[in-house]
Amino acid sequence: MLKYIGERLLAMFITLAIILTLVFCMIRMMPGGIYDELEDITQEQLDALYAKHNLDKPILVQFGIFIKNVVTDWDWGYSLKLQPNQTVWGILGDKIPITIYENIFSLMISIPLGIGFGILAAIKKNTWIDHVISVMVVICISVPSFVFASLLQYFIGFKLGLFPIVYEPGSTGFAMFYSMTLPIVALALNPIATITRYLRAELAETINSDFMLLARTKGLTEAQATVRHGIRNSILPILSTLVALFTNIMSGSLVIESIFSIPGMGGLMIKSINAIDYNVTQATLVFYSLISLGSILLCDLLYGVVDPRVRVGGKKE
Amino acid sequence: MEANLNKEPILKVNDLVVNFNAYAGTVQAVRGVSFELYEGETLAIVGESGSGKSVTTKAVLGILPKNGRIDGGEIWYHGEDMAKYTEKDFYNIRGKKISLVFQDPLSALNPIMKIGKQIMEALILSLKMPKAEAKARALELMKAVGIPEAEVRFEQYPFQFSGGMRQRIVIAIALASDPEILVCDEPTTALDVTIQAQILDLINEMKAKSNVSVIFITHDMGVVANMADRICVMYAGRIVEVGTADEIFYEPAHPYTWALLSSMPDLDTKEKLFAIPGAPPNMITPPQGDAFAPRNKYALALDFEEAPPYFKLSETHYAASWLCHPDAPKVEMPEILKNRIKRMKEAEEKHGK
Repeated sequence: MLKYIGERLLAMFITLAIILTLVFCMIRMMPGGIYDELEDITQEQLDALYAKHNLDKPILVQFGIFIKNVVTDWDWGYSLKLQPNQTVWGILGDKIPITIYENIFSLMISIPLGIGFGILAAIKKNTWIDHVISVMVVICISVPSFVFASLLQYFIGFKLGLFPIVYEPGSTGFAMFYSMTLPIVALALNPIATITRYLRAELAETINSDFMLLARTKGLTEAQATVRHGIRNSILPILSTLVALFTNIMSGSLVIESIFSIPGMGGLMIKSINAIDYNVTQATLVFYSLISLGSILLCDLLYGVVDPRVRVGGKKE
Repeated sequence: MEANLNKEPILKVNDLVVNFNAYAGTVQAVRGVSFELYEGETLAIVGESGSGKSVTTKAVLGILPKNGRIDGGEIWYHGEDMAKYTEKDFYNIRGKKISLVFQDPLSALNPIMKIGKQIMEALILSLKMPKAEAKARALELMKAVGIPEAEVRFEQYPFQFSGGMRQRIVIAIALASDPEILVCDEPTTALDVTIQAQILDLINEMKAKSNVSVIFITHDMGVVANMADRICVMYAGRIVEVGTADEIFYEPAHPYTWALLSSMPDLDTKEKLFAIPGAPPNMITPPQGDAFAPRNKYALALDFEEAPPYFKLSETHYAASWLCHPDAPKVEMPEILKNRIKRMKEAEEKHGK
């Protein structure tokens, strides 16, 4: 198992290196110079700025310096334009926790709710409960999250005044969670619907399987059979959708963060790309890549935990 | 077998009717089936696919699919009519008094649960046995059904077992609580022939040890010959002939039984193997008279109009065919079958059974 994790981590590292190289080169190929709009700047000043950020050197040398600084000093460089002369790591350090909270919270809501609704719909298949859930699922999947965000903002935030319309910067603890409620809900709706839909289909099939019948004929109640044999077998195929889900929430948060003015990574990435701030953009992209790769790894490891056929079958004797 | 006549049956099914709701209409899967099961005997229910044999036993176990329902008849077991049972009542019977062995052992076990746990589960949850005791019992069962290295196998998963081994596990699970009745629903159909014989021997062996009564469902007359004390032949949701194994094999009376026996392959028959012409009737609109009449070259005009009653041929032998009526024209069974029965009798005498 440890060897497997080691191999996977190595593969992940190689993937990340490739992404990093591509990102580094590609953002430098974007049209427009960094300091184009600074009109009253002298050539000497400009040269000094370029030299300061090593932008006057060939791209390979820049890449080398960047890698060396990150590896040796955890130095991601300085922000070029967004918040000039601030370290990139300093900027990111403030935003990462907010984005992580927001995503983790909506995952924490959506996984149990999705599983709950999925089980309910499968057990009550073709009854009015199932039909109501199915209609909600279709709505939540087909309507984009920013539409829900605006609706929630208007009805629950503005009309009813239950939750703040926008995020209150600087709040901590429960206050932070409170002011993040609407964006979390907006982000969670789509994942809830996705999990519900997959689980309903899987479980409805598993319930009719022979081993569920055997579980009942050997003396288990229907509920015992469903819980002990049905659910675990149907969660298995859903694990792979969890990765997609997580990256889905992440990309959803790009838009949601700007709607609710949350100072998170999503907003930062968009702003840094618009401002042509190479250093910040590449750091945020690395962050998103790391999250995706990490969740894929986690999901594959979970497969092994849940499914013995993966765990034992993969072992080379 | 003769002793059965004096005994009370352990299970008595009386005029059972099971219908299914389907999109096309109501499927009359079982149309008035009656049989008795005596203690310690093996009752075989034989018939082709769709004749209602599995449905009958599913009704007995209360595991009919959601669109199926018992629309009539009684299932008497220990003085109670199980046809009126609720899911809760069945819970006290299933896996405790009546167990089921499935057709397909590959899909009957939970793929992601350890074998040992699957055997122990019912003992712990349903019989409230302490865990250590349940484990001892599970290991004992695994050894009894012929699993080598039971302690190692206990910790393994179904995918590490062969088909035959899995069927042994399914049998072990079925026998875990010392049931009174074991229902085997085509337990060897999904297995290859050499394994089939082993599993049949195992069922016979377990039966001899525990005196469990067995309902054995199959479409394979060869398997029946090895297993059954008594045989019910089912066609289109009805039992057409019932009798002891000897009576069904040596003195079959219903044309459908003739056809079944004639279509059984053997080594000595020189002619082309007999196949029953046509297909079973559509059970949404079952025929009015004898359901087998359209495929039966011996059918009388009356067979198409009125369903035949059961004619008593001996104390244990009944057949539902107008041919058995005293006024019916004398019809001999087909020549192939006659020869075959003659050979079977000779073989039996030779082996001094």
